[in-house]
Amino acid sequence: MRKIAGTVLFVLAAAAAVGATFLPFSELLIRLAPGQPQTAYVTTGWSTHFGGTKDEHGPLFAIPVVLAAVAVLAGVRWRKVAYAGAAALAGVTGMLFVYLLNAISFHEEGNIAIDPALEAGFGNGIWVLITAVVLAFGAVVVHPDD
Amino acid sequence: MIGRPTAIALIAIGVVLTATALVLPWYSTGYAGGVEVVVRAWGTEIVNKPGDWPAGELSPWYGLPVAVALALLVAGVWVTRAALAGAAGQLGAAGIIAALVVSERGHAIEQQGDFAIGFGLVFLAVGTVVALAGAVAVQREAA
Repeated sequence: MRKIAGTVLFVLAAAAAVGATFLPFSELLIRLAPGQPQTAYVTTGWSTHFGGTKDEHGPLFAIPVVLAAVAVLAGVRWRKVAYAGAAALAGVTGMLFVYLLNAISFHEEGNIAIDPALEAGFGNGIWVLITAVVLAFGAVVVHPDD
Repeated sequence: MIGRPTAIALIAIGVVLTATALVLPWYSTGYAGGVEVVVRAWGTEIVNKPGDWPAGELSPWYGLPVAVALALLVAGVWVTRAALAGAAGQLGAAGIIAALVVSERGHAIEQQGDFAIGFGLVFLAVGTVVALAGAVAVQREAA
């Protein structure tokens, strides 16, 4: 029973981590001139867009996330690999959180004169990623030893 | 099997290398007018910063997750599993830095600026690999 529960949690954690990479990690909504519609500056694990323009050199945060998710998924067979994968996923999430927190603050400070009503904040992706970390460690605890 | 003393020594070397990385520059980008952005573990320094650019400071504390990983590595001397968590966590954190470095290099080249890797990043990479090797070896010894 514990093995089934652990397996389900490992799969859920890996799916949540990979799914998070397709969701926005951070969002900035800004009006570049009075009366103009808001332009969205969105960072996901795979791309960064400013309105309709893609940043060709946007950071690919998804790559370390997916690699850690694969290690978590390996926990179905090797529990210790999953433990390392969960820790790696936590490291990825922690460093990404530090980066995003500062980037959001930078967006606000740097653009407040252009649009005092701008909105900058975390996207759903980071919360899903944090949930994936919790699920991964939960799976390690529940899954029986090798 | 390399033995527990060797494994602990590898972790210790990894800790020292990573701790050194926390005080050295990680990478820098140079732009026209002598503007240079130097990224370190505890903030970003802008040399010859133009008066109104940038309005905010993009100066994240990348050192924070690395310091937590270091603490776990040190705890690994007494709690075997902590070392693996620390080393794997550090590897994950370094993965995000790698993604950022590739991105920043691309931006710098696109804007015809200069990009340089600092010793801090080299120490972080080597420290992470050495600590991970030690942490895995400690796990194998304990098994």
